[in-house]
Amino acid sequence: MTQPSKNKRIEIQTTSDDHHIAKLAAFAIGLHLLEAALPSPLPGVKPGLANIITLFVLYRFDFATAAWVSLLRVFASSLLLGNFLSPTFALSLSGALLSLAALCFAQYLPRRYFSAVTLSLLAAFAHMTGQLLVVRVWLIPNAGVAYLIPIFMVAALVFGVANGLLTNYLLRINPVRLDEDKG
Amino acid sequence: MVKPSKWGKPLLGDVLVIIFALLFVAYLFKSLWHNEQAAKLQIRLGDKIYATYSLDQNRDINIQGPIGVTRIEIANGKARFASSPCPNQYCVHQGWLNHKGHAAICLPNQVSMELLGGKKPFDSLNY
Amino acid sequence: MRLLVLIFALFLSACGKESLVQTKSYVFGTLVDISIYGETEDKAHEVTSHILQDFQRLHHQYHAWQSDSELSTLNKRFAAGKTPVEMSPELTQMLTQAQTLSKQSQGLFNPAIGGLISIWGFQRDEFTPVEINDVAIQKLVQANPQMSDIVIKNNTAYSTNSTVKLDLGGYAKGYALDLAITELQKQGVKNALVNIGGNIIALGQHGDKPWRVGIQHPRQPKPMATLDLPSGWAVGTSGDYQRYFEQAGKRYCHIIDPRNGYPALGTQAVTVLIAPSPQAGVLSDVASKPIFLSAPDQRAMAAKAMGVEHYLVVDAESNIRLSASMSGRVHWLTKPKKIAVQ
Repeated sequence: MTQPSKNKRIEIQTTSDDHHIAKLAAFAIGLHLLEAALPSPLPGVKPGLANIITLFVLYRFDFATAAWVSLLRVFASSLLLGNFLSPTFALSLSGALLSLAALCFAQYLPRRYFSAVTLSLLAAFAHMTGQLLVVRVWLIPNAGVAYLIPIFMVAALVFGVANGLLTNYLLRINPVRLDEDKG
Repeated sequence: MVKPSKWGKPLLGDVLVIIFALLFVAYLFKSLWHNEQAAKLQIRLGDKIYATYSLDQNRDINIQGPIGVTRIEIANGKARFASSPCPNQYCVHQGWLNHKGHAAICLPNQVSMELLGGKKPFDSLNY
Repeated sequence: MRLLVLIFALFLSACGKESLVQTKSYVFGTLVDISIYGETEDKAHEVTSHILQDFQRLHHQYHAWQSDSELSTLNKRFAAGKTPVEMSPELTQMLTQAQTLSKQSQGLFNPAIGGLISIWGFQRDEFTPVEINDVAIQKLVQANPQMSDIVIKNNTAYSTNSTVKLDLGGYAKGYALDLAITELQKQGVKNALVNIGGNIIALGQHGDKPWRVGIQHPRQPKPMATLDLPSGWAVGTSGDYQRYFEQAGKRYCHIIDPRNGYPALGTQAVTVLIAPSPQAGVLSDVASKPIFLSAPDQRAMAAKAMGVEHYLVVDAESNIRLSASMSGRVHWLTKPKKIAVQ
């Protein structure tokens, strides 16, 4: 603990957790940017790899931190890509908000029976729902969207499971280290 | 101690959730991919097809027939005769058409409309 | 949206090519819909326009109120006296057939009551409420114009009752259907469906399945059931929703009861399904009327008198009554609240 010093330098104390979280957040932004650069066969269907990070943070830290990382990723990526406040941003934000809402409840599921696959799947469906809502209400306000819903949900299912499996893998190869300084 | 595989073994809850998700998606296909919904409106003036419109829009169409202007309204995936110069107004009284095969006609002004979309359940209408 | 286009294209290609040519036209004062399957477009259009021309001719020649039609001329001569009038062979044949059918129906099918139809304002192209002239109506009912009042001999005819005024409204469409079938067969067309103002006759099939018709709901803008029409079968419906006007909350439809001179009440619609015969079309038009006009307990008898085995009735309370053989053929789209099979 340091008293605020009398000279003009102000230091922000960071813990090693903060460092880890910052790295993970950067990683999430990186993944998001990478996906944005790659072409997708279907508009709006992406693997959503950045969500792996969100889940990982949820497991290793807590929900608040995961929410922070997720939203930081959404805002930072959109600023970096230059589509802040655009429809793309709205889609990204609505997806993130709804999937966080789902995780808020899903995180209490007993770990004995439910792994990250479940959380990822539920979050993916919630994410897709959030995006489809924005599409239906704002972007393409007509009934034709109904035909797209099942297709997007299949993508959510597939990628949700895949990301969940990847998260499980990452959790296993990065076990919690008891000797870390949690500050 | 046996080192567990890096992927872990499938957990019961996960499997159940996946199964439910599959059923849910199947249900979505079944309920949203039905072709009962009419997609297009075909309007005829006299013998000829006047125009075909998608029902995915809100618009009014004015058709000049032998006795005057008939107005057809498309809204919310449905269509109806909004107004017509005929004395009996049978066409207007038909109300909203919203399923494929539904048709209405204004005989005096020779305007008819029919909802197309996928397969018709019958070839012609007896009335 | 690109996805939608892709899926749509796949659907379309899966549907396959169908050689169905459908023409809709306004003839006979109503919508005529002719579908021809399995012929080249050119042939289909050629045959269709030939048939439509026939219909135009029939429409004008036997028009019930246009003063220059052959029928109107005949009516005027009937009113004038008992001198035999020369008729075309076609009209002779039509009247002879109509006489037989009128007798069969115990007078419920009565094309001689043109006077009554006119009083009710139904001899016009549009129908507006009329002042009900009960005196004039009763006078005509008393005068009792019947088909049997007409004496037909050697292509001439005269009427013993000057109030006989022919209106072939409930007959001509059926006659035209039979004519159309003859013409189609003559032209070598194997598969067609002809719809004149709702009266339909079938020839052959629609590809590998029978022609299928929808039956209009009497009170809603949609079909209530579907029915398969095998080759040669015809279907006709008399309804109170086709030509009518409303006055003081009451509906007056165009089907007049010759016994009391007033439009029939108690029935919303009668559909008859007629088996193949040279007069299947005529029967599909004519035979529904006697059933429509009959009291509920007389309907089965009226059907039998006309040789109709398959029929369906929607009464004034929207209840359905249908013959046993009809119930097996009708496929309901909206299950009605009450069905009785007799």
